[in-house]
Amino acid sequence: MTALLPATAVDAPVGTGRQFDALAGVGTMVRLIVRRNRVRLAVWVVVLVGMFSYIASYYQTLFPTQQSLDDFAAVSNTPGIKALTGLSAAADTLGGAVWTKGWMTIAVSLAIGAAFLVTRAGRADEEAGRTELLRSRMLGLHSYATASWIVNGLLCLVVGAGIALASLASGLDPRGTGITGSLIFGASVAGVGLVGLGVGAVAGQVASTSRGANALASAVIVGFYVLRMVADLGNGALSWVSPIGWGQQMEPYAGNRWWPLALLVALTVALLAVAGLIETRRDHGSGLLAERPGPADAPRRLASPAGLGLRLQRGPMIGWTIAIVVSAMLFGSIVETMNTFLTDAGGPMTTLTRGVGINALLALLAGMIGLIAAVFATQSAVSLRTDEASGIVEAQLAGALSRTRWALERLLLPAIGSAVVLGLGGGLLGAVYGSTTGDPSQAVTMAGAAVAYWPAVMILVGIAVALLGWFPSVAIPVTWGALAAMWFATMLGEVFGLPTWLLDALPFSAVPYMPLEAMSWGPVAILTAVAGGLIWTGIFRFTRRDIRPG
Amino acid sequence: MSHTVSDSAMAVQIEGLAKNFGSVRALRGLDLSVPTGQVTGFLGPNGSGKTTTLRILLGLLRSDGGRVSLLGGDPWTDAVALHRRVAYVPGDVTLWPNLTGGEAIDILVRLSGSLDPKRKAVMLDRFDLDPTKKARAYSKGNRQKVALVAALASDAELLLLDEPTSGLDPLMEAAFTESIREVKAAGKSVLLSSHIFAEVERLADRVTIIRDGETVESGTIAELRHLTRTQVTTVIDAGAADLASLPGVHDFVVIDGRASFAVDDGAMPAVLAAVAALNPRSLVANPPSLEALFLRHYGSELAALAGGDHK
Repeated sequence: MTALLPATAVDAPVGTGRQFDALAGVGTMVRLIVRRNRVRLAVWVVVLVGMFSYIASYYQTLFPTQQSLDDFAAVSNTPGIKALTGLSAAADTLGGAVWTKGWMTIAVSLAIGAAFLVTRAGRADEEAGRTELLRSRMLGLHSYATASWIVNGLLCLVVGAGIALASLASGLDPRGTGITGSLIFGASVAGVGLVGLGVGAVAGQVASTSRGANALASAVIVGFYVLRMVADLGNGALSWVSPIGWGQQMEPYAGNRWWPLALLVALTVALLAVAGLIETRRDHGSGLLAERPGPADAPRRLASPAGLGLRLQRGPMIGWTIAIVVSAMLFGSIVETMNTFLTDAGGPMTTLTRGVGINALLALLAGMIGLIAAVFATQSAVSLRTDEASGIVEAQLAGALSRTRWALERLLLPAIGSAVVLGLGGGLLGAVYGSTTGDPSQAVTMAGAAVAYWPAVMILVGIAVALLGWFPSVAIPVTWGALAAMWFATMLGEVFGLPTWLLDALPFSAVPYMPLEAMSWGPVAILTAVAGGLIWTGIFRFTRRDIRPG
Repeated sequence: MSHTVSDSAMAVQIEGLAKNFGSVRALRGLDLSVPTGQVTGFLGPNGSGKTTTLRILLGLLRSDGGRVSLLGGDPWTDAVALHRRVAYVPGDVTLWPNLTGGEAIDILVRLSGSLDPKRKAVMLDRFDLDPTKKARAYSKGNRQKVALVAALASDAELLLLDEPTSGLDPLMEAAFTESIREVKAAGKSVLLSSHIFAEVERLADRVTIIRDGETVESGTIAELRHLTRTQVTTVIDAGAADLASLPGVHDFVVIDGRASFAVDDGAMPAVLAAVAALNPRSLVANPPSLEALFLRHYGSELAALAGGDHK
């Protein structure tokens, strides 16, 4: 094409030249991103600040005296709390209690939210071809990305400021420490959120699909979380390897350190610089890895929905398997450290017998593996609706393939896949732990404890299929919402005053808490039946309704 | 719910088909038949219901009324068995972005039957398609070629083609024409949805024209031509004005001694005799094109659009 144009047409000066700035049109893009995401942005601010405010006001009424706070601090000092949320350095203050309950959930949610919002305006739009249309206008190379960073950076700042204000309003700062603790709390949340933004920005440049970018960003953030978990259970040195650990080290209401914020901001700037550099170097529409030619023929197994699904999801499946293996081995290796800690430590731990303490921790870790498996299975199960929405399922259903067979074969992936990763994760956890205590039977025990979560995982698959059948247009967000709701209810249920029977009935709570509790077949049978019922009703409806793209 | 109409001479038989999406009536009494062994053109503007009809024929949508028969079966209840004998090319081809075109073709062909690598190779060659490229790297035209190669390499009795050439260049359209003629020669049936008149005129034995979900015209190309007027231009020295009053003559104008008018096909002998009596210096008669037929049915909409009245 260019060859057909006279050289002068290419070289001719156009306007002032300033219009071709790499940042031309940022303002317009900021408005576009805010307009497209106004509901999402508002929901993130309201949910995160609201969650903080609610925990603060609830704990104010729950712990009216210093004695009650001291008791709560003692009760909180368990490996479970340390592993899941970390323990405040000022656990015996009201602010510290709120930090222990809410900081980790809020900060990690904001990080993941910022990462997803960045890939949504970045890689997802580029993949869909919208960015191409925008870039054909007078829009600088980095304008769209920069606008998205500005908007999401502001989101982090607004959430941080909102939390600081809510903390001031609730008077969470311990007497005589001024308002620094509140400001530190807000800043630490915003800082972790900013790192999430940076991770999302780089992931969107490296991966060539939005799904891949989201998976990569989530994996990195979950990796940060696991590193700090190991750090909080061990001697703490690993805390400095994880940006989430830096946020924790700011210690609002206790150490009140500002300087780890500089680390968080510096990492964010570095990540954004890397993202910008990649954007300068790469072609529009491509990722870091060049597209290579592939096979000209497909093996026979790809013609079956299960075979094709396996081929298409093999990247995420390998990723999740690695995630489970690494987590399980990390978990397994820290249990023995905890063992020593439990023997040495005085205080509330002595009230627990050593065996129960270890088993409680093992049961918690098995539950964590169950949760990772649930995310994998949910991702695989919602892809049925994704395939319908993108229109790609029509090509398959236009062949001699019934909808029931298509759906059932595709569901083999989350069903078998989650059973495999549960067994693998639990088995490895037990094997690594067992190798430190010379008890190889732990591998079998822990594999069983983790596989017991399979029916609970299948409930989420069932929800995805039921929604696919009955409410396809909202199936994807509602399925993920159901997973998030279960997670939040399990973590924060008692704060929100949810009745105990409801909390106990949640799929993940209903599973026998092994090895602390004994295996009990009743709940497992009920969960399996409910999951089967959900899948059945979903497929029943799916085979009777119109196929609906979009 | 549709009922089966059995007629082995018809690959597709649709009577009074209705389909609603909420309060929108997408199809309201559509009739369409595709005789076995023939190519049937299916014409209509965007949004007139062509794709909805094809998706009902594929059992992807459920009809809300009327009778539909596909290869003698019910497209909803017998979908799986029927799809062994049907190949489909969608108007907007979606592929698996991280699979190659060659892989996608094999998957699509095997879903309906067995794969003949020789035919696949012939079609890949004819459409000049690189099967080793990932689908996300393909242009719209190349994605369409993937679906076309898959459809033509399979052993289907009936091809359902939804604007199959909208992304192809003229060379590839020639390859497409050749392929459809081969398909027809093999005794297979084709339903070709399109808004490219020339393509339908070149390939189709019969045409059905729809508008707003209803069939407005249906028949062989010859039959439909019969319904329209031939455009005549003639240069006559004197007396041309007399022609204007003849029965069957319409839209008569004279510019620089050149008389132009439309003639009903039935009135043609009488008009030609009258013209001959006036010693014409030249005479040009153009047969009605499908485009003229089409414009007759959509003329009011086109006029409304020209007047700035966008729906």
